[in-house]
Amino acid sequence: MKIKAQVSMALNLDKCIGCHTCSITCKNAWTKRRGAEYMYFNNVETRPGVGYPKHWEDQNKWKGGWVLNNGKLELATGSKTTRLAKLFYHPQQPELKDYFEPWTYDYETLIHSKRKNHQPVARPRSLVTNERMEVTWGPNWDDDLAGGDSARSDENFKKMEEEITMDFHDIFMKYLPRLCNHCLNPACVGACPSGAIYKRDEDGVVLVSQDICRGWRHCIPSCPYKKVFYNWETNKAEKCIFCYPRVENGLPTICSETCVGRIRYMGVLFYDMDKVDEVTHTENPQDIYGKMLDVLLDPNDPAVVEEAKKQGIPDQWIAAAQDSPVYRLVKEWQIALPLHAEYRTVPMVWYIPPMSPILRRMEAQTEFPDTLSMRIPIAYMAQLLSAGNEDVIRRILRKLLDVRGYMRLRETKKSTAQYDTIYGENTLYDMFRLLSIAKYRDRFNIPTGNNVSREDKEVLQGADGFPGCEGGCFQ
Amino acid sequence: MSDFVWGGLPYIAFTFLIVGTIVRYVVSERNWTTKSSEFLDKKHAKWGEPIFHFALLCVIGGHVMGILIPQIVTESLGMSETQYHDMALMAGAPAGILLVLAFFYLMWRRFLSGSAAYLKANTSTMDKWLYFFLGITILTGITGTLSNADGAFNYRLFIGPWFRGLLYFDPQPGLMLHIPLIFKIHMLSWMTVAILFPFTRLVHCLSIPFRYLWRAPIVYRKR
Ligand code: SF4
Ligand code: SF4
Ligand code: SF4
Repeated sequence: MKIKAQVSMALNLDKCIGCHTCSITCKNAWTKRRGAEYMYFNNVETRPGVGYPKHWEDQNKWKGGWVLNNGKLELATGSKTTRLAKLFYHPQQPELKDYFEPWTYDYETLIHSKRKNHQPVARPRSLVTNERMEVTWGPNWDDDLAGGDSARSDENFKKMEEEITMDFHDIFMKYLPRLCNHCLNPACVGACPSGAIYKRDEDGVVLVSQDICRGWRHCIPSCPYKKVFYNWETNKAEKCIFCYPRVENGLPTICSETCVGRIRYMGVLFYDMDKVDEVTHTENPQDIYGKMLDVLLDPNDPAVVEEAKKQGIPDQWIAAAQDSPVYRLVKEWQIALPLHAEYRTVPMVWYIPPMSPILRRMEAQTEFPDTLSMRIPIAYMAQLLSAGNEDVIRRILRKLLDVRGYMRLRETKKSTAQYDTIYGENTLYDMFRLLSIAKYRDRFNIPTGNNVSREDKEVLQGADGFPGCEGGCFQ
Repeated sequence: MSDFVWGGLPYIAFTFLIVGTIVRYVVSERNWTTKSSEFLDKKHAKWGEPIFHFALLCVIGGHVMGILIPQIVTESLGMSETQYHDMALMAGAPAGILLVLAFFYLMWRRFLSGSAAYLKANTSTMDKWLYFFLGITILTGITGTLSNADGAFNYRLFIGPWFRGLLYFDPQPGLMLHIPLIFKIHMLSWMTVAILFPFTRLVHCLSIPFRYLWRAPIVYRKR
């Protein structure tokens, strides 16, 4: 057993209001630079829709992620040798127009225009070419289902058996905030010929070394989530950094901190590194989710704690893992799912499937609506979150409905026995607290400090003290 | 003067090439990149880039053979000078022509095609100087080769020994005095390219990631 710590995030899609605050605060902090204008480390897309970049889920086109080739795990873009031939030209690399061309407006004309019969207008100007341009696509061009064509060409519909008409009376939508998943088996890392992308040993954050990156661009098509970007100014790859300067100091990422809907949870997960291979080699994609849960270790299990200590994981990390909101959502209650686990990158950002729109429609008819007659087709959510396994989605929605049923009884001072026998005394109440009340302190539990002992810190600060003390001088 | 040009300038070029490259690597690895423009224009890169690089590798391979291997060696292997010349021309000329075509196609792509406005963002002043001297090198190279198709000027008796002399630190500028003008320009322009090398995108040729072939797929690093 090789225990690794992973800082992980869970998002409660039920509560995402699609405000894009997360995208904007992230952009203001990290990608407001020349060459990075088009990048959204965090973006929120309306589903159904084509997403950002357009059709990122179409892996026939991009060849993202890993595939099992006769039981052998391989990058979908090809073997190592064939991929070296793609150094000069990568057929699957997205280009600027797959995202959008960033632009600004000629605001100057508003101020300096001569007196005219008509109002002066600020016309759009490309930030790449500095020339006038026609804006025909942008981030969230299809927000809130604008332009129905985009919604109809959602990739997930192609795999669904039931027909989605998107007629007005049964139209549906939901928001999907997306960022890098800091995967356990990151395809971007596996694809990088220079070895510039790495997974951090201590907290699992996946980063691109700006020194080592040579601009070979293989990470970009290989990430099935299209969360590595090419900076056309510095000519190197960039990606979400999980706000590591904040996480290292025990603060949640900017997108989590500023989330208006308070939908984001962050905490530590322990996993068994030796078992990750088993997950990625799972034959049936629908079984991957279950295998992912198996890889996560119970931080309250004394054997795990002992082993973690032995392997040098600091006490504050163990404590954080034992009180991790993400662990609770993912493993204890099993209500959070990985996005497109079938890409086999073992993503570490989790999503709780949404249900609100359904409930409201059903409430008029029955007190306990049936998950089957929900507004968002279960089959659609299953495509996104469970490799098409509808039972998983149904089970989770059932649980979320039970939280509501339970709270209704509890608030009206009725007996909750019918739930208690299934879930135990307080589980549903705890779920209600974490999901609905969602206090800042409950949502985030990130250990401060890194894996540096006190003695090592002194050394790092330059205060070497008395050289020659074996194992440090402060014991 | 010619002593300097054929005995001193090459060493200046080598010094820039080697020391300059090391300095750049140490001081600013952060901007050491292929400077790929595929993101801004994929359509024309599709054929242009692979063909250009392939032809370039062929031409470089040809130069290594032609310049570094002395004529005595091929002759002792039983290959006469005319045989060698014919073989070199048969293999070299197509590669050279391909290189010229691909080079000008890429220049057209960068400066004149519909994507030129976008590629401007990928073209620095230094790039323009590089393309200028690279263009001269390639053009004089192919012109020299084709104009010398009959093998009247045996460069393996002049340029080859001169270049090898440089490598042994035994420069023989006298060998270069009477070579055809086109070859002289070819020499001067590659030396310029060598001097520019550390300051340009060309450095990416030193980063071919062979190590990737036997690396573990997932890289872990401590903070
Ligand atoms: S989501 Fe993409 S970029 Fe992020 S770790 Fe996974 S493969 Fe890499
Ligand atoms: S974790 Fe930080 S860098 Fe990543 S998407 Fe959120 S705000 Fe942006
Ligand atoms: S800030 Fe929160 S609620 Fe708003 S779009 Fe982002 S994830 Fe959704």
